Amino acid sequence: MDAGVLIGWAGLGLSVIMHVIFVSVTLGAGLLAAYLRWLSLSDPAWEVPARRAFKFLILAELFSGVWGTIITVFLAGFFPTITALATNVLFTPIAVAIAAIMVRIPAIAISWYTWGRISPSRHAAVMWIMAISGFFIPFGFRAVFAEITAPHAVASYLAAGTASPFAAWGSPVFWTLYLHTVLAVVSTGAFAVAAIAAYDRDEKTFKVAAKWGFGVLLGQLAAGPLYYFTLSAYSPILFNNINGPYLPVLAMKLVAVAALVYVGFKAFRGDMSLGRLAAPLALFAVVMGEFLNDGGRGEYFVLIGEQGVPVAAFANFYMPIPLGAAYVIVGFFVLALIVFALAAYYALYKRFISEVPE
Amino acid sequence: MTNLHPLLYLSALGVYFHGVYVSITLGFPVAIGIMLYLWSRRGDQFYLSAAKKMSAVLAVNFALGAITGTLVEFGLVQVWPGTIFAIATFAFAPLALELIAFIMEIAFLILFLVTLGRVKPAFSIAVLALYAAFAYFSGVLITAVNTWMQAPWGTGPVAKALYPFLPEFGPLAVDVQKLVALKMAAVASGQPVSLVLQSPGISEKIGVVLNDPWVAFYSPYAVVSIFHNILAAIVIGLSLAVAGWAYRYWKTGREEYLRIVKPLAAALAVLFFVQAPIVAHFQGEVVAKYNPTKFALMEGAKETHVNPLVGLVAFGDPNKPIPGFDGFYAACDALGNATVGDLAKQLNIDLAQVAGLLKLQFAPGVAEVKLADVCKADVAKAEAYMPLIFAAYYSKVAFAIVGVAAALVLAFTLNRVPVLSSVASALAKVVGGDEKRRVFLLAALAFVGAAVASVLGWYVREVGRKPWTVYGLLYPSEVVTPVDYAASPGFLAFAFLVVLAVNIGGLLAMYIVATRGLKFWRR
Repeated sequence: MDAGVLIGWAGLGLSVIMHVIFVSVTLGAGLLAAYLRWLSLSDPAWEVPARRAFKFLILAELFSGVWGTIITVFLAGFFPTITALATNVLFTPIAVAIAAIMVRIPAIAISWYTWGRISPSRHAAVMWIMAISGFFIPFGFRAVFAEITAPHAVASYLAAGTASPFAAWGSPVFWTLYLHTVLAVVSTGAFAVAAIAAYDRDEKTFKVAAKWGFGVLLGQLAAGPLYYFTLSAYSPILFNNINGPYLPVLAMKLVAVAALVYVGFKAFRGDMSLGRLAAPLALFAVVMGEFLNDGGRGEYFVLIGEQGVPVAAFANFYMPIPLGAAYVIVGFFVLALIVFALAAYYALYKRFISEVPE
Repeated sequence: MTNLHPLLYLSALGVYFHGVYVSITLGFPVAIGIMLYLWSRRGDQFYLSAAKKMSAVLAVNFALGAITGTLVEFGLVQVWPGTIFAIATFAFAPLALELIAFIMEIAFLILFLVTLGRVKPAFSIAVLALYAAFAYFSGVLITAVNTWMQAPWGTGPVAKALYPFLPEFGPLAVDVQKLVALKMAAVASGQPVSLVLQSPGISEKIGVVLNDPWVAFYSPYAVVSIFHNILAAIVIGLSLAVAGWAYRYWKTGREEYLRIVKPLAAALAVLFFVQAPIVAHFQGEVVAKYNPTKFALMEGAKETHVNPLVGLVAFGDPNKPIPGFDGFYAACDALGNATVGDLAKQLNIDLAQVAGLLKLQFAPGVAEVKLADVCKADVAKAEAYMPLIFAAYYSKVAFAIVGVAAALVLAFTLNRVPVLSSVASALAKVVGGDEKRRVFLLAALAFVGAAVASVLGWYVREVGRKPWTVYGLLYPSEVVTPVDYAASPGFLAFAFLVVLAVNIGGLLAMYIVATRGLKFWRR
């Protein structure tokens, strides 16, 4: 693979993985926070757990968003062909995701800064808008992922020169992928909240978060295999790669899931002793899953049954890619992660984020 | 063909909302920094409270800036997918570096917000400075991209070949044959560029079009625009902070609010004075040099004429005439009977071969179209904008004068400077009312002057380069999405509704954060 194409492909993969890590926490924690906030309308004792769940989200959301922007720039800069194809054929799913982002991010900021400044019931309503809008983002973008795994709308477009605006959602791969994604983020977000609650010895928050995490994880035990078998039917290259060269990754993911079931079950029963492990295990399983889904396609960007379209077919050859700049950018990504980790340390462990906005 | 106007309005709405947030993003750090500095020097907690209040507004604002930035970015690739070609070439380096700026900006903002008031002032000031540095760097890079659309640096004489009245845009860093072939393909097929870009393997077949990825940074137009745009944003953000605190002073009469207004007003006056008469002058010079049609629109120059004042300001020569549209038409006539086919032949472009390679149907007779006719048609399209651009430009100048005058009077009224303060106090009395009301009215005038001048200035910058999206090279119709329903009433209503609801809700939230105390925990 050409060096420019390789760095673009690797950078895109890194960005997707980083994005997925942060959004898993924010989408799941957001839903839990909205639920707890709603409970607090009748029992104010839930307000502090609601705020604690929300703390993760407020910290991680903008950082998850920036990785989304990085993905877009990598796509348009390094892979203009597929970006043009996607924006033309998958206009509607992308528009849905953008609209959801536009509602979600300000709703988060509004939820945080109007907490205590507007009536609790209005505030709870804003929190629900914040939480639910988040799930429309993968509803749009996972359709794009489904299209590069088993083209449905694109296939129709290439065959007939046109495709229904909603064709991408007709893909069977999309629905199982979306279900798998939704359950993964809800479970991961809840386990992340449970982990920090275990660290804080906050039993009330821990119990509710652990119940959510474990309950949804049980659903995931069905959704994961469902997606796996969908791939066997509609995306043989990816399925074969997962069971071939990527089998060790699949094995690591399954071990992490098994460990998470054990930790989750103990947490579900109110045992906080292993609670801190829930977040790293859940995130590790998410990363491995995304790595399988994206890296498992190997040299192909788009998989079409038994065939694939190579990455290079979509790459940017319109100019010599300045590789030096690409390395500098990757270096700064690492620096940004360090700064973010420092902020997270102050916010979560030194408790610099107060329970009430100042 | 897609109706472009509603899509242009949608993009403009997103850009203008983004402009509001960018102004606060770039201006508030100056105000917060001044408050933190005074807190560290005087130890007065009131300055820290002021810094915290503005930081909370900055945080909500940043979220809104991020989403409208996303809208603008997605708007580019989604609604105007032809711009993907620019992102993959001329804009690649600025946008790639912008990733650094954006991610570091967010990382340092989070660190600043989390630690403010809990660490030493010097630490907070340092983190704020780092955040601001990356925010300004982001502004530099985005302005470089926008400027490339005003003056496509690196394309040398390409645009001049069709529009002889245009200047050359820097050194030639492109493969002229390929660039012109792509343009001809868009014109001949009547199809948006994105339909060419989307075929797998097409990029490898076309090959290198741009030789120097950094060429967008070399533009003198970009250097001036960077100072002009960023300073304008800082002035608006800072003037908003001054107006907000002045309003509090007027309404409560508490002296501590005046202690906040005083240093901020001084900083505002200095920056506004540098921006309005000095940096804006250099901006005018590059517009006159590189965007002759825009300059003619600004000056209402249907005919070439001499205006000693404008000549002196724009060209440094009172006798130099302002080029008018009559001259542009005459320049088009100089192309004679040359046709698109002649130009293709001159550049060794085989139109049939291009159509085959790009799998496009070319309209019959395209090769026979006279270049002079294309040139004159575009000049006529530009000329149609004259009443709007002329009015907008001179209104902008008037608002800028009002704004800078109000900022200077306010600063010299509150900060004692021999002679100037006496003059300022006398002028302030013209506003009327007591001292508190005067302070607020002057601050409000400075804000309105800065904000309206910037809104109109951006309008002149963007609309003034029409009929092109990339000046002299590409029309909006060539970069628009081929998806018809993007311009359907239903989709547009949905898009406008989301944009308006999110932004109005966000602005309301910022107002609540800025004005209301906490209620919940006291109940």
